[in-house]
Amino acid sequence: MKREQFGRGSIPNYFIALAAIFALNFILPRLMPGDPLHAIYGDEALVAMTPEMEKALIREFALDRSWIDQLQAYIIGLLHGDLGYSYYYKDQVSSVILGALPWTLLLTGLALVIATALGIILGIESGYRRGEPLDRCIVASLMFLSGFPDFFIGILLLLLFGVALGIAPLSGAITPYAGLDGFEYLKDVIGHLALPLSSLVLVQLGGIYLLTRNTIVSLMGESFILTAKAKGCSEFSIKYSHAGRNSLLPVTTATGLRIPHLLTGALFIEIIFSYPGVGSILNTALNARDYPLIQGILLLITVAVMTANLIVDLLYSRLDPRVRYAH
Amino acid sequence: MHINPFRDLIHDPMALSGLSMLALIGFMAIFAPVLSDYSPYDYTGQIFSPPSAHHPLGTDSMGQDIWSRLLYGARTSLFVAFAVAILSSALSLFIGATSALLGGIYERFWMRIVDAMISIPSIIVMILVAAYLRPSILLLIILMSLFSWPGGARIVRSQVLSLKERMHVSAARTFGADWKHVLVNHITPDLAPIIIAMMIQDARRAVFMEAGLAFLGVSDPMMVSWGKMMQQALAFTYLNVWEWWLVPTGLALSLTLVGLSFLGFGLEAAMDPRLQKYKHRRAD
Repeated sequence: MKREQFGRGSIPNYFIALAAIFALNFILPRLMPGDPLHAIYGDEALVAMTPEMEKALIREFALDRSWIDQLQAYIIGLLHGDLGYSYYYKDQVSSVILGALPWTLLLTGLALVIATALGIILGIESGYRRGEPLDRCIVASLMFLSGFPDFFIGILLLLLFGVALGIAPLSGAITPYAGLDGFEYLKDVIGHLALPLSSLVLVQLGGIYLLTRNTIVSLMGESFILTAKAKGCSEFSIKYSHAGRNSLLPVTTATGLRIPHLLTGALFIEIIFSYPGVGSILNTALNARDYPLIQGILLLITVAVMTANLIVDLLYSRLDPRVRYAH
Repeated sequence: MHINPFRDLIHDPMALSGLSMLALIGFMAIFAPVLSDYSPYDYTGQIFSPPSAHHPLGTDSMGQDIWSRLLYGARTSLFVAFAVAILSSALSLFIGATSALLGGIYERFWMRIVDAMISIPSIIVMILVAAYLRPSILLLIILMSLFSWPGGARIVRSQVLSLKERMHVSAARTFGADWKHVLVNHITPDLAPIIIAMMIQDARRAVFMEAGLAFLGVSDPMMVSWGKMMQQALAFTYLNVWEWWLVPTGLALSLTLVGLSFLGFGLEAAMDPRLQKYKHRRAD
């Protein structure tokens, strides 16, 4: 009963926020000075446009009618999954994004898994050795690292391994026209993925590590740890089965809440390494002022981030029974 | 119970190192005209000149002196940081405190807005708005403040809710003080450490966002900005100009951000642990 209340609070908020985002996407181009068609499509697109195409677009957006009709046309378009037409790629916005999405998902998915696993292991080991030189060393270096802007970490890795040492490819996700297949293709993909992935992991690692370490430090004073020590559990079992397992809950929640940071981080990292994901396409769209594409990408990311937050919110009460009873 | 976290702060090595990093950047920003002979906008007559006595960091692809652009970039970053921190925390303080004191529909209205806005990824919406408006520095500050107040307002509200039940507030009320007097003279002073912590986080996010938007090329092109410099320099990684163009700029930006983080960590450690539970919420 009380648990539903927790969920009920977040679902309306989610829809209010979603409505605000759609409203912003609808209003922003129409607020711009001049012809709304110019603002929706950008000046560059209209150079290549014939009068017939222009008429068709005006009819599609209902720009010659009242704003209520325009809003209706906009909502119906969105419900059909129609995000508009990208004049730069000469294709539907939705299919341009779908083409780039697998690379972004590969990059962010692997980064999330590796950063979380590494952060938890480092956090447990370091929290268990609290105050020892190794612990102090890891804390200081990761705190320093987590202060760095994501794009500069990417740039440093690119300059060091790509430019100065020349041992990693400078851009892209695969070697173009190499015609590789099977194992060679996989090796090529991993080679191109290594630098962007390490940058993203380095950016994300600090937060997860510090949270796990703090949780472990506070757990080490609990009596169940003393019991485990007294009954002669091995050090590994105390660290991972007793303390580690109990630290998973705050870490899971925090990991879910890091998804926005992960996605914006991936945008910048992809631009730096010209990795052909959604971030690179966004960069191209921003430079070419391809407004339908910019809107489509940002709308997609916003909805993805907000949905992830909602899921974490709803899962939180299920993961931790104490939250259910506390309400 | 009054604790003074600022007294502990000067003994905290982390806060001290953060403060000294910021002092260095602040020194660069304040004395920019003294430290460099060139205007950041002037064409010096030579492009890509390597570091020399005249140009400590050489010149860029537009023939502008990189050292003076670095110095004036510090001005932009710090100005944006200060302005957003002050404007955003003023909004947080006003809306959070009045919600807690007035209650009722007013409180429910603002808390609903806060809850909805917290779930919106602000940097992504900022990119969208900036792509259309190409904001100048003032518009950028206003937009960033509008997106960053909600988290702070929630913290201020919960603090004020507990502060207004304290004895000294009741005492002031019995002496006939109205809520405005109580808010200004009795509640705001107790909120000071939390507001400072909020301002540091807002400032850090503002510096990052300004640089990020300029890096994406969606802010005012006339603004001297570290993000813009990095975007321009990234196109020339095949020349060795990155050694004195890209790396120093990135280091200056990182130093500012790390300085603000360290100051924030130090302050949070010195402050009461109640703030800890909000920490993971604001990590966007």
